[in-house]
Amino acid sequence: MLAIAAVGIMCSSCDDFLTVVPETQLSSATFFKTEADFEQAVNAAYAPLRSIVNDRAYRLAEMHSDNTYYGRNVLFGAVDPQEDLADFSVVESNGVTANDNILQQYRLDYLIISRTNQILALIDEADIDQAVKDNVKGQALYLRAYAYFELARYFGSVPLHLTPVATREEAALPLSSEDEVYAQIISDLVTAVPLLPPKSQQQPGRVTSGAARTLLANVYVNRERWSDAETILTPVVTSGEYMLMASYEMAFSDNASNKNNAESVFEVQFLEGSAGLNGNFFYQMLPRPLLADELAPLTGTINPQPVDGEGNNIPTPDIIAAYEDGDEREDASIGYVFLSSSFRDEKTYPYIKKYAKHHSQHNNTGTNFPIYRYSEVLLFMAEILNEQGKDGEARNYLNQVRDRAGLGPVSSGGAELAEAIFRERRVELAFENKRWFDIQRKDKIEEIIVPYGQRIVANPLDYYYPPIEGAVPRPQVFTNLSKFYPLPAAESDLSPYF
Amino acid sequence: MNNLYLLRGKIRFLGILSLLLCLSFTSFGQAQTVSGVVVSAPDNEPVPGALVSIKGTQNGTVTDIDGAFSLQAAPGSILVVSFVGFVTQEVAVTANQSPLSISLEYSTSDLSEVVVVGYGSQVKREVTGAVQTVSEGELKDMPVSSVAQKLQGRMAGVQINQTTGKPGQGMNVRIRGQLSVSGGSQPLYVVDGFPITGDINQINPDEIQDITVLKDAASTSLYGSRAANGVVLITTKKGKAGQTNVSLNVYTGFQSVPENGRLEMMNAEEFATFKKEYYEAAGQAVPDIFQNPSEYRNNTNDWYDAMLRNAPISSYNLTVTSNKEKVNTAVIAGIFDQDGVVVGSDYKRFSLRMNTDYQLSDKVNIGVNLAPNYVVDNTPRTDGTRGTGILFNALHTWPIMPIYDENGELTSFNQLPASTGNIYAYPNWVRSAEEITNETREVNILANTYVEWKPIQGLSLKSTFNAEINQSKYFWFNPSTATANINVAIPTVAVSIRDHYNSLSWLNENIATYTKAINDHNFQFLLGFSNQRFRAESTRVQADTYADDRIPTIQGAININRGGTNSGVGEWSLTSLFSRLTYNYQGKYLFTASVRGDGSSRFGEDNRWGVFPSTSVGWVMSDEGFLNTSSTVSFAKLRASYGVTGNNNIGNYTQYALVNNTINAVFGDQVVPGAGVTSLNNSNLGWETTSQLDVGFELGFWDDRVLFTYDYYTKNTTNLLYAVQIPQESGFTNYNDNIGEIHFWGHEFSINTVNTTGAFRWTTNANLSINRNKVLELADGIDRVYGTYHITQVGQPFGQFYGLKKLGNYMNAEDLASSPIIPGRSTVGSIKLEDVNGDGVITYGGDNDDRTIIGNPFPDFTYGLINNFSYRGFDASITINGSQGNQLYMRHLYSTANLDGVFNMVEKVSRRFKSPEDPGDGIFGTSTGGGNVTGVERDWNNSNFVWDASFLTIRNITLGYTFSNISKSLKSARVYLSGQNMWIFTKYWGGSNPEVSMQDNGNGDGGNLSPGVDLAAYPVPRTITIGANINF
Repeated sequence: MLAIAAVGIMCSSCDDFLTVVPETQLSSATFFKTEADFEQAVNAAYAPLRSIVNDRAYRLAEMHSDNTYYGRNVLFGAVDPQEDLADFSVVESNGVTANDNILQQYRLDYLIISRTNQILALIDEADIDQAVKDNVKGQALYLRAYAYFELARYFGSVPLHLTPVATREEAALPLSSEDEVYAQIISDLVTAVPLLPPKSQQQPGRVTSGAARTLLANVYVNRERWSDAETILTPVVTSGEYMLMASYEMAFSDNASNKNNAESVFEVQFLEGSAGLNGNFFYQMLPRPLLADELAPLTGTINPQPVDGEGNNIPTPDIIAAYEDGDEREDASIGYVFLSSSFRDEKTYPYIKKYAKHHSQHNNTGTNFPIYRYSEVLLFMAEILNEQGKDGEARNYLNQVRDRAGLGPVSSGGAELAEAIFRERRVELAFENKRWFDIQRKDKIEEIIVPYGQRIVANPLDYYYPPIEGAVPRPQVFTNLSKFYPLPAAESDLSPYF
Repeated sequence: MNNLYLLRGKIRFLGILSLLLCLSFTSFGQAQTVSGVVVSAPDNEPVPGALVSIKGTQNGTVTDIDGAFSLQAAPGSILVVSFVGFVTQEVAVTANQSPLSISLEYSTSDLSEVVVVGYGSQVKREVTGAVQTVSEGELKDMPVSSVAQKLQGRMAGVQINQTTGKPGQGMNVRIRGQLSVSGGSQPLYVVDGFPITGDINQINPDEIQDITVLKDAASTSLYGSRAANGVVLITTKKGKAGQTNVSLNVYTGFQSVPENGRLEMMNAEEFATFKKEYYEAAGQAVPDIFQNPSEYRNNTNDWYDAMLRNAPISSYNLTVTSNKEKVNTAVIAGIFDQDGVVVGSDYKRFSLRMNTDYQLSDKVNIGVNLAPNYVVDNTPRTDGTRGTGILFNALHTWPIMPIYDENGELTSFNQLPASTGNIYAYPNWVRSAEEITNETREVNILANTYVEWKPIQGLSLKSTFNAEINQSKYFWFNPSTATANINVAIPTVAVSIRDHYNSLSWLNENIATYTKAINDHNFQFLLGFSNQRFRAESTRVQADTYADDRIPTIQGAININRGGTNSGVGEWSLTSLFSRLTYNYQGKYLFTASVRGDGSSRFGEDNRWGVFPSTSVGWVMSDEGFLNTSSTVSFAKLRASYGVTGNNNIGNYTQYALVNNTINAVFGDQVVPGAGVTSLNNSNLGWETTSQLDVGFELGFWDDRVLFTYDYYTKNTTNLLYAVQIPQESGFTNYNDNIGEIHFWGHEFSINTVNTTGAFRWTTNANLSINRNKVLELADGIDRVYGTYHITQVGQPFGQFYGLKKLGNYMNAEDLASSPIIPGRSTVGSIKLEDVNGDGVITYGGDNDDRTIIGNPFPDFTYGLINNFSYRGFDASITINGSQGNQLYMRHLYSTANLDGVFNMVEKVSRRFKSPEDPGDGIFGTSTGGGNVTGVERDWNNSNFVWDASFLTIRNITLGYTFSNISKSLKSARVYLSGQNMWIFTKYWGGSNPEVSMQDNGNGDGGNLSPGVDLAAYPVPRTITIGANINF
């Protein structure tokens, strides 16, 4: 009986004794209350952009075009997922693919979407300073729109999550059409533009009203809504917030300096060091195998290490040939490196020089990656105006960009001018993950990719294949020329809707 | 909370029942004083500490040092005289009883022994559950660091594998095949009544008196939500009644890795021959260094052998026990010192245990056990996948690369020009082992205290307070001169990691026990409640880029690594109520029922209490008239039990939706904090539930000289904790839920025989276990979970090897043309695989490809066989255990049989397919065609990786001789020679340890979903020692 009495006494305090809350992490029930909470939440929504540009976007939007290819290294077996992207041979069955790069890109975009949904669901009701609220909300809307814009261009129709998922049942949604997704992107950005401060009043590196206008203009350009695009983009040009840097080379971030410069509209931020905020995309884009001594002059590190495996994003002979004589951008964009361990007779390979900035630690860089530069704003303006028949104004914008590159003005108009703008975008924005989207929106897949594939099959040695038995383009190359990537199989397995 | 009310109701009912029992009373006859002496039968030595009790009552006494006793007993009552190791005897008391001389026969069986069970003890013959005990004497000679190693092969239904030979690590204990998707499978260890959270490997085996393994649910269910994996009860030493003993146990010897059984790699000449043939077959120029392979004859750099050495091992234990005048103490001081057989590894343990019980009065006892120990372990990161596990790295390093330079110094790293096909820099792995510090220093303190009050006859009220403290400091320092990773040039970046961890677990337990006999009805009722709380804190600092290797302080580094620097807290609490009723009639009809309620901080707030009931029955048939006249059958018992237990290894905070506030961002050069919701909450999350039925019988023949035990069990585990994958369009990867069902069943046989008695005594203990499991259900819409080399699929056993089925190699062009192939990749001589889905081509990946189950890591059966012999002063024992029908996934072949010749290869690659005329022995395919061809065999999981790993191991052989009655101060001395892991008989050729099971990260116990992977782990040594046990 004593024991039973004791049990009774003990259990009155049971709930306290049995409630052990985590001390190293916050719980969602107590988060999303203060200004700092919302600021931290939007900061975290930027984080997936680092993985996107560092690891995935260049494979899906640059190497999946005639600008870059991979450097086949037979000693390391096949690297099928990357090769399939570059070779336009993404394996598709029942409308889905097991390609891991596609899967990761998809998941990273939805990570941005879920983090911004958490903010957007709660911020209107939050009791915080209005200016902070507007700024955070504007950034969240921009980031959600950016993620959906990537998804719309990669996949067309995708699930449209606009509120946070709370239960297992809410995790999957049916596919929304491309038009529905675009409608949401436009609505988010239209709301975001007035909420966001201009670049001069925003913390450098964060989303600004100019960035939101540029993104919205890009969306309108994709939808061929030329006058809407002109209306939204013109204030960026007239704002006085942006200008072209004196030279093309200077337009790009250094390892620790020249970040978010006057030409930068929006760029993904990296920081060299051990805080986990660094990038290493420059290393991923190197031809291999490179010995430590061969790498050192490119990186300037104190501890160069050999890099092996198969190199990605190696500039093709096609992009090298696309530069006009005298174009200063060629030398600024593409360098050459000698690979003594290569099996090719020609052991000198091109590499992407515009991101080769000296840094201190091996495989750890702080160079930012550009999303929108002012030169692209000018090229958008040229295209928008030319499409509306205002070719004089259009040429003016185009020639500003050409002039900075050391090239003479263009004098054509109409379709010829449109083609000149398309070519200019290729070289001005080379290796900035624009090429595939340009080919896609201009419906030039047949025109550009098919002959490009024929050139590779006919001359594999020019496209970095070694002269070794078994090292030739695989039989399946250039067999999947779809406008959109198939949705990822791993997500399809878990979703009842696709 | 409903469960709690139910539980309270049940407890109240049982309380009233016990109260009623209290009110009844026994009758007392005309008592007289009866005295006597108890002696052992063959040698007439007094037996101190024997229990003399009056049958059917709780009255009794214990014999003194001269074996004498005296107590009050009525004429006609029956004295029951018992002592461990002797046959219990009954003597009727007559009127005017003269002093008795009772001589006890040595027991040939252990049925009369008292065994420790959950929250108490029982005479073995009355136990109704499946329990098994091993006592100190059976374990004493084995020269190993941990008690789990000593238990290998001893118990039916308990499979113990040594997955790695790292000193002090790597024992994987699995009771009745229990598994879980994510909840762990190690049993609950209870030391002197205290469920510990630490590692039993750190407990000095010499402190242990006996070990009891509770296997069925009725035995374990009093441990409730932690009992599903079985419970191991460890009791530490106490003094023997009336005696003072001082003993010294020492042994010393050396360990080695026998040549026989190691993975056979190519020597330098074979390697050069391969390279030459490789280039010739591909029509390429042979690099100069491979032009003449015979140059390398007798000039092999055996990198694996260079990692190994013969290493000393020694152990010293001093034990002092005394049980006199109301004080029972035991003090055990031990030093264990083992150098590992891999260079740079060692393990030392300094331990002390002080157990003391005081009898304050007739009614009050108190006791304190205090056991501190200090462990220093410095073992290189030997285990792991290619590139990070240095033993794996050493295996596949080119044998033409020098270990020592011309001055006899260790080389720093080896890299040949790319023209030789050498694409990796190979650091010197001996340097890695010697120069990289990887040290753990631990202080563990285990303390138990209790006070017991016996206010009235038969009632005991006991409170205990227990604490377990662990302080550990881990230090890793990788100087610039060495690296554990492949393809890193020297000098490298020096890195340090410091991890400081401390934990405290405390338990307060309050137990009331009431024992009562009414005529032939014997009752025991137990009621208890307990609170336990655990908290661990850790701090980790990672720094790199040292100016000078000699100063590995944090401030000596240029960088503090932000990602590797963190602190953590883990905490849980558990409140429990438990109760048990044990009843028997005449010791013949046995019944036990128990229930435990656990409230756990780990369970979701809407599902906080779990109730775990059980019941068991037994029938000692040999006490019935129809059997007790049999001269053949001396004992027969039937028993059955059913119960429910739980597994709460579900993580401390899994129920909560967590916000990770380290998802930082950078803007310009400014780092800002970021926070995101990273998991979904589930307030209904609960424990895994296992319900188990056990049926068994025990049969003794010829006065129990042959004792046979059989058990059958069947159990179902449901509500498995599983992180159900959800589409990541949600922003989350999974939802923690309780799902699925697994069925387990098995048979256990054990037999103990006394083959000869007299001067030459020979006993045998044999056991055999069969364990099976089958997945009945996973989550809705999920019928399989893929691992890297495994699949767990509904309708199949857990963790099966999964891949393509190898049929052979394509023998010639005709074979290639007429068989399904991989378009673009199959050639003559490449691996030929089965077209399981019948679509005409070989495909790999997705749910409908050609992969299938290709092997089973679980054995058909496991067994143990122990023989003990003694003849006058000589004794000998031999322990054998084995496993039949289990397979291993020889994962290291993806590098050690890489047909591109990137690494050194297993010697069998010399007999690969070379041409249709020279097809080799069929194990390995052609080396030509490049990665497009050879990559299939290497990168696609297939049955060429799966090999039979059945084994029979002569675990231990010991020979001893005892000198007795040497002098007044030296009671006896025994010297012995002991050999551990003497011989392994197996067809497995992938390495010397067929018990291996490793994860890619080098952690032992390959995890429940991926068991049986061989990544060339630390070898288990053969140990030969001489030792002495001296009793003063």
